[in-house]
Amino acid sequence: MTEQNNPASTQPDELTVDQFLEQLPELFAKSSGERISENPQYAELLRANPTAAELVRDLEYIAEQARMLLQPENEIEPSDAVWSKIQSSLGNDDKKAN
Amino acid sequence: MQVQTYGMTTQNGTPGLFKRNPPIAGEADAIERAKNGDADAFSKLYALHKRRVYTLCLRMLGNVSEAEDMTQEAFLHLYRKLGSFRGESAFSTWLHRLTVNLVLMHLRKKGLQLVSLEETINPSEEDAPKRDFGSRDPHLAGSVDRVALERAVATLPPGYRLVFVLHDVEGFEHNEIADMLECSTGNSKSQLHKARLKLREILRQNEAVAKMEAAR
Repeated sequence: MTEQNNPASTQPDELTVDQFLEQLPELFAKSSGERISENPQYAELLRANPTAAELVRDLEYIAEQARMLLQPENEIEPSDAVWSKIQSSLGNDDKKAN
Repeated sequence: MQVQTYGMTTQNGTPGLFKRNPPIAGEADAIERAKNGDADAFSKLYALHKRRVYTLCLRMLGNVSEAEDMTQEAFLHLYRKLGSFRGESAFSTWLHRLTVNLVLMHLRKKGLQLVSLEETINPSEEDAPKRDFGSRDPHLAGSVDRVALERAVATLPPGYRLVFVLHDVEGFEHNEIADMLECSTGNSKSQLHKARLKLREILRQNEAVAKMEAAR
């Protein structure tokens, strides 16, 4: 691939929509939580490509919602059987040790 | 059973994972007592951390029965290895890492251990997200609740689900995930992107079905 054709070497305001979509995994990885949809460098491209803009907003939304899953109120209680099995296994360990 | 542990990535001197974990009242005392074989203290540690550990297992595995088995395994492992906890990281971080490693080992035993995960992580053509990026339907923002997202995550192909849960939910960095899954950083980024695309597809389909049912 020549330097001219390499999407990674293309300035954001010179990207085609296909190059932009191809770079999205890397752009998200580099964004450190900042929204690509609000980055002025991509504003023109996203304005001209509503489908791509919608995709970016959806993917950002999914990532933001996922972060909220870690909050303690979203944790799930295991069944009581789990603790019973743990106690039973530990009891067996103790018997073997003795 | 030997469980490999991975180093913590730091950002600005702060552990990259579990920044949100404040010390838990009574935990340090319970750890010390449990190290000396105090059953009540171990029971307290279980009560404090069971939800976190089980939820992590459930999200990584997408299966209640396996998640319960791995929760049991994690706490049994904790009981046997507690003496090696030196307090260099938060206890919850240590337990979390131990659990992640046990689940990954379990998954490898199930069939991912013989071939590099980089190869097996890719789902079938059928499971992969579609290449077209969707028509101009109303976008998702504001329309997906936690339950819908949890359900959608559970239906992801295992490789996608692992990377999505580890990165987007649990906050691991791509280089940490690459170490854990024995794949490249680029592969982790690519899998995460495909996982999000697949989730979008699932969530949009579910929304469309819900709208059709509501219109009946």
